[in-house]
Amino acid sequence: MARHKSRPVEEQGEPEMEISSMIDCCFLLLIYFLVATSLVSEKKLDVNIPGNPSAGGTPPPVEPGRIDVSANGAITWNGDMPVGEPYDASAQPGTAAYKAQRHLDQLVEALKTLKEQAVAVDTEPIVMVTGAPSTPHQRIVDVMAALAEADIHTVGLNTTASE
Amino acid sequence: MGKKKRPQDDVNGNPNMSPMIDCCFLLLIFFVVNATALTVSKDPSINMPSAVSCSELKDANGCIVVNIFADPDKMSEKAVKKYNETYKRAGVIWGVADSNEASGSKGFTQDEGQLLSDYISKQKEFYKAKNMDEKNIRIYLRGDLAAPWERTAGAIRCAAAAGVSNMVFGTLPSRG
Repeated sequence: MARHKSRPVEEQGEPEMEISSMIDCCFLLLIYFLVATSLVSEKKLDVNIPGNPSAGGTPPPVEPGRIDVSANGAITWNGDMPVGEPYDASAQPGTAAYKAQRHLDQLVEALKTLKEQAVAVDTEPIVMVTGAPSTPHQRIVDVMAALAEADIHTVGLNTTASE
Repeated sequence: MGKKKRPQDDVNGNPNMSPMIDCCFLLLIFFVVNATALTVSKDPSINMPSAVSCSELKDANGCIVVNIFADPDKMSEKAVKKYNETYKRAGVIWGVADSNEASGSKGFTQDEGQLLSDYISKQKEFYKAKNMDEKNIRIYLRGDLAAPWERTAGAIRCAAAAGVSNMVFGTLPSRG
């Protein structure tokens, strides 16, 4: 009688799933989102437009501050005090000229004084910003940043009729 | 001499991967949610201005985004290309996201302030229908740093006509 060689039955353990590729994918996605969220994201400057003063009837207890921005980007406070140099679009980030353009220290000081005066009579300061039609948007944002630094958020925005 | 049998390892050397995968998925979900929550529709043709004292935009919900463009001669070549591809006509100074348009964006010229105002009114009603507090409905002004002020002021006037007085100026943090 022929002897049948019986093949040894390979022991089959529990079925295992190959998960290393999945982990690779997960890590790739993880790194992608880590990088994507740490990229420079947009920030904001809040502004509330005040209502029509004639509708309220009573004038504000503190005279509203006035900021004028000319077509070349020069900034004046209350009509006569220069607080910002003309805008220089060629100033590169990191340079002293760029820093001087973005930091309007004199204006911030004037706005803080106005804020203190308003707080003393228990009211909110109001500032009117008037820009020439061709003033670059960046210069208005510089003014808004100064207002935010002085913690003033009620701002009237106007456009001059001519340059 | 009899062969010595090597003692069989009875310790399983495979690390347990499941907790690590769990952690990875949790982190993944966290970043996915984080990345999508702060998204406002951004037009790449805009060169954003920078500001020294800006704050984080924590919640973009309720923001009606209005892009304000500079003249094409003040844009980069890439930005002009994108601008032309998106709006396909000259003189567009304001752009908004609109899912009804094939490009996903809708442009308005200087003379189309009323249309912009109507769009803002529509968006405002949309948010109000979602029971959103009116003070949280804001105009997110994404102005190009070289855009003339009259365009920004025009967009603010259109928003005021639509009854929205809360403005948010989009900026980038200053690098100097």
